[in-house]
Amino acid sequence: MKNDRQRTFMLITIPILALFVCFNTIPLIRGVIYSFTNFRGFGKYDWVGLRNYIDLFTDARVGKSYWFTIKLALVTTVVVNVLSLLLALGLNSKIRAKGFFRGAYFLPNILGSLVVGYIFNYFFTYIIPALADMAGIKALSSSILSSPSKAWIGVMIVCAWQAIAMNTIIYISGLQTVPEDVYEAGGLDGATGWKQFRYLTFPLIIPFFSINMVLCVKNFLMVFDQIVALTKGGPAQSTESISYLIYNNGMAGGQFGFQSANAVVFFIVIVIISVAQMKFSSSKEEQL
Amino acid sequence: MNGKKFFHGKRTKCVGIALCCMTAMLPVAGCASSGNSGKTEIEIVQYKPEAANYFKTVEEQFNATHDDIHLTINSPNDATTILKTRFIREDYPDIIGIGGDINYSYFVDAEILTDMSDYSGLQSINQGYLDIAEALEFVPVDGTYILPYVANAAGVLYNRQMFADHGWKIPETWEELLALCDDIQAEGILPFYFGFKDTWTCLAPWNAMAVELAPSDTTKQVNRGETTFTDQYRELAEKYAQLLPYGPEDPFAYGYNDACTAFARGESAMYPIGSYATPQILSVNPDLDIDSFVMPACDNKDDRTLNSGIDLGFCVMADCPDKEAAYEVLDFLLADENIQQYIDDQNAVPCKNGDFRLASMLDGMLEFIQTGNMTDYQDHYYPSEMSVDALLQTFLIEKDVDDFLATFDTNWQRYNRDIIRMVQEYAQNH
Repeated sequence: MKNDRQRTFMLITIPILALFVCFNTIPLIRGVIYSFTNFRGFGKYDWVGLRNYIDLFTDARVGKSYWFTIKLALVTTVVVNVLSLLLALGLNSKIRAKGFFRGAYFLPNILGSLVVGYIFNYFFTYIIPALADMAGIKALSSSILSSPSKAWIGVMIVCAWQAIAMNTIIYISGLQTVPEDVYEAGGLDGATGWKQFRYLTFPLIIPFFSINMVLCVKNFLMVFDQIVALTKGGPAQSTESISYLIYNNGMAGGQFGFQSANAVVFFIVIVIISVAQMKFSSSKEEQL
Repeated sequence: MNGKKFFHGKRTKCVGIALCCMTAMLPVAGCASSGNSGKTEIEIVQYKPEAANYFKTVEEQFNATHDDIHLTINSPNDATTILKTRFIREDYPDIIGIGGDINYSYFVDAEILTDMSDYSGLQSINQGYLDIAEALEFVPVDGTYILPYVANAAGVLYNRQMFADHGWKIPETWEELLALCDDIQAEGILPFYFGFKDTWTCLAPWNAMAVELAPSDTTKQVNRGETTFTDQYRELAEKYAQLLPYGPEDPFAYGYNDACTAFARGESAMYPIGSYATPQILSVNPDLDIDSFVMPACDNKDDRTLNSGIDLGFCVMADCPDKEAAYEVLDFLLADENIQQYIDDQNAVPCKNGDFRLASMLDGMLEFIQTGNMTDYQDHYYPSEMSVDALLQTFLIEKDVDDFLATFDTNWQRYNRDIIRMVQEYAQNH
């Protein structure tokens, strides 16, 4: 009997595993192999040993893209989590038309990120400068996407605008797991307002907080669509994210081998960051 | 987890293996050709999506008149990336339509193209374009690998009506160009429009000026170690920066489409871009009277030369099973009426010798085209992954000539390492 159950589970698992190996593990291994060649993506190629990896650490453009991506990921993660936690607290309280607001705030998540990017592109290029001109704000009278030092803020805003929706939903579901009697008991001990949030609500939703942090950091480290729609890596290569650089130079350019090495390193970086985050936040979790 | 037990069940094992095999076969099955009743299948992938309608018509006409060959022409967006992705999977079309740029050099070097020297259609092609194609090879290779189809020309587009109204004359030297810009500005009109948000547009004025200010084989000289870009490109960079004050206040906020629209609406008198931009401009304002002139970057008007290169050429892949059928398709594409149709649609310059009607926006360049005073784009020699367009954009923002030229030289050495080694090995052996 037990054997039969096991067999069923295996029958479910094996095809999935086969698909995973086919479309994930094998390409990954091939990518690692190509990272030791000067393969352009077609034609003949030579083995170059560790040259790609050595180049990677001396390439200013790659360094710049890592700096940009990490900066973007950190800032966006903080902005998204603060705002979506605030929104979730608001949307979880007893307000009028709660269902409508929850729906409205979820809307950005169902729009394609390319569409959102193109709309914001127009917004940053024409509408904001026009409004700023009327209001006499000099700092905003030219498009922020055309300034190498400020373009990343534009990308950050678009990423955050879209990501807040999903994170808010996760926080709302987290807030709903906190039982009412905890607040009642806490209230008797004088925990209200900020204290209530700090000592009761937040520790109890830490698992949701850690999910959001991991998802955010991972998603923003791999930012791609928004870059394509907003800046295409410009101006002056200031918004070239790692994924964009890998795709652009690996596929459209002739650096398949070199960018494969970049992808391998990037993969390792993401694994390390995710594992570190999980370790850190699981040590902080509280159980009722 | 009790994985061992599972493998004792023999039947399950078989099912498992069968499933693995099936999933592994999936991508392969997708590639198998569908077979079309004994006809020879010829597939073309060409990289100009703006000419998709033209190629649709050609495909229909060809299939209607040929019983033994079935032709399919694909004109996807970003075809070069699609082609390269297909090449990674070793899935080759029969014929590819690409530009005469560094990708062509790569494909020749990768030995994935067929030598077309035996194709009779090559006889009718303007020798100038065959030479340009020859020059694109990293190291000289025997044979001809591309059939140049149409060329484009880059200079300055101008609003003919506006010029006539104000009595402005076409500039023939750098001094005259700057004087003209001052005149235009004095009347409260913007001389140039730029769409530098799309980095590739930074290359258009650069190329048009480079043909007059730097040797046409600069990149090859650098590869042979005979010169540096710092030596060859200084004047070019300095002059390019001088054009900026005559453009919109923040050119990096606008893309190619924005610039085309602005020029079409008469917001600027000139737009330094290639002839390929005219269909886009006319789609905004069909009544605009556009003409063009050769970018006068030099001080002597006789030193001017037109920036022109192979915009579209066809290569037969080495993998193509039926070369004769491919040549038959090329014959059809080369028919005079088809070429005329193409150049009417796209304002292109034909690479074939013969009596073709050129679009009116090429009037100002006609003299150069007819006398063959043309020089290929410098950027056709730049590797795309080096992103010279982005370097130029950085330069135009920072305006630091020394830094730009130094970066150009270091990046060039880095991105062309394998090619430079190949070129120098070749030089030693020949």
